Amino acid sequence: MKVKIKSWTAVGTWEWVSNDDTCGICRMSFEACCPDCRTPGDDCPLVWGECTHCFHIHCIVKWLQSSQQQQLCPMCRQEWKFKE
Amino acid sequence: MANIAAQRIQREFREVIKSEEVAKCHIKLELKNDEYTELKGEIAGPPDTPYDGGVFQLDIIIPETYPFNPPKVKFITKIWHPNISSVTGAICLDILKDQWAAAMTLRTVLLSLQALLSAAEPDDPQDAVVARQYKEQQSVFRQTAKHWTYIYAKGPHREAELEAKVSQLRGMGFEEHKARVALSTCDWNIQRATDHLIS
Ligand SMILES: [Zn+2]
Ligand SMILES: [Zn+2]
Ligand SMILES: [Zn+2]
Repeated sequence: MKVKIKSWTAVGTWEWVSNDDTCGICRMSFEACCPDCRTPGDDCPLVWGECTHCFHIHCIVKWLQSSQQQQLCPMCRQEWKFKE
Repeated sequence: MANIAAQRIQREFREVIKSEEVAKCHIKLELKNDEYTELKGEIAGPPDTPYDGGVFQLDIIIPETYPFNPPKVKFITKIWHPNISSVTGAICLDILKDQWAAAMTLRTVLLSLQALLSAAEPDDPQDAVVARQYKEQQSVFRQTAKHWTYIYAKGPHREAELEAKVSQLRGMGFEEHKARVALSTCDWNIQRATDHLIS
C-alpha cells in the first residue's frame, strides 16, 4: 500500500527556531536556560536582535552592560537592536 | 569562579581538543588547574613566515567575568614580532582588548594569534624596536625572527652568522640572552650592540 500525503499542516514544533542551536554567549543549548538560571522556559527567554542573532536574554543583557563603548552584537558586531 | 565562565571554558576546552586544528598540530590547549582559570596554549608558527616550524607557548588566564571580558593571553616563548613584546610577551591584538566579543572562544583566539604571526601590524606596535626594524630593515627583521624561533621555539632554521655574533659577545663576558637582545636591537652591528650593553 502506498500512502500519498495530500496536505500537511504543521501544528507546532518543540524546537526553538534560531540561527544556531546554542547561545553564542554562554554556549548552552537554547533548549536549556543560561547557566545563571535553573529552569528552562519563561524564566530565561530568548531574544532576537535585528541582525537575526539569538541569545538568552540574561546573556545578552550582561554583554551589553559589560561593553563600555557601542552596543554591538557579539556574533556579527552590528549595532545591537532588540527585534520587536 | 562565576558559573558562566567555568561552564563555558569547559565546553570550549572540549571544542578545542576535538578540533581539526589540533589534529593537524596547529594549536593545542592544556589545563593548568582544575578550576579552568589558567590554561596553557600552544600555536605552531605558520608556513612562509620566519616563525615556520616553531612552537610558541602561551599563558592564558580566564577572568571571573569571562566571556564578557577577554581572556588574558601572553607569550611564554620569547618571540621577535612587532606586535608582541620581546621582553614580557605581552600582545597587542584588538580582539584581546576593545574588539573582544562574547561569541569568541579560546579556539578563535589561538587562531587569531596564529594569523597575527602571518600578518604583523607594525603601525600598531607592542614592541617599538621590532616594529622599526620590520619597517626599515625587512630582511634583517626576518633573519632575526628566524633566529629567535630557532633558539626559543625549536624552529628548524639556523642562522649561523647571527649565532656566531652572539658567541662573540658571550666570549666578551655578556650573558647570552642579553647579548642576543642587544644585537637584535642594533640590527646585528657588533660595535653598537657592545655600546648598548655597556651603557
Ligand atoms: Zn546564553
Ligand atoms: Zn537565564
Ligand atoms: Zn548579530
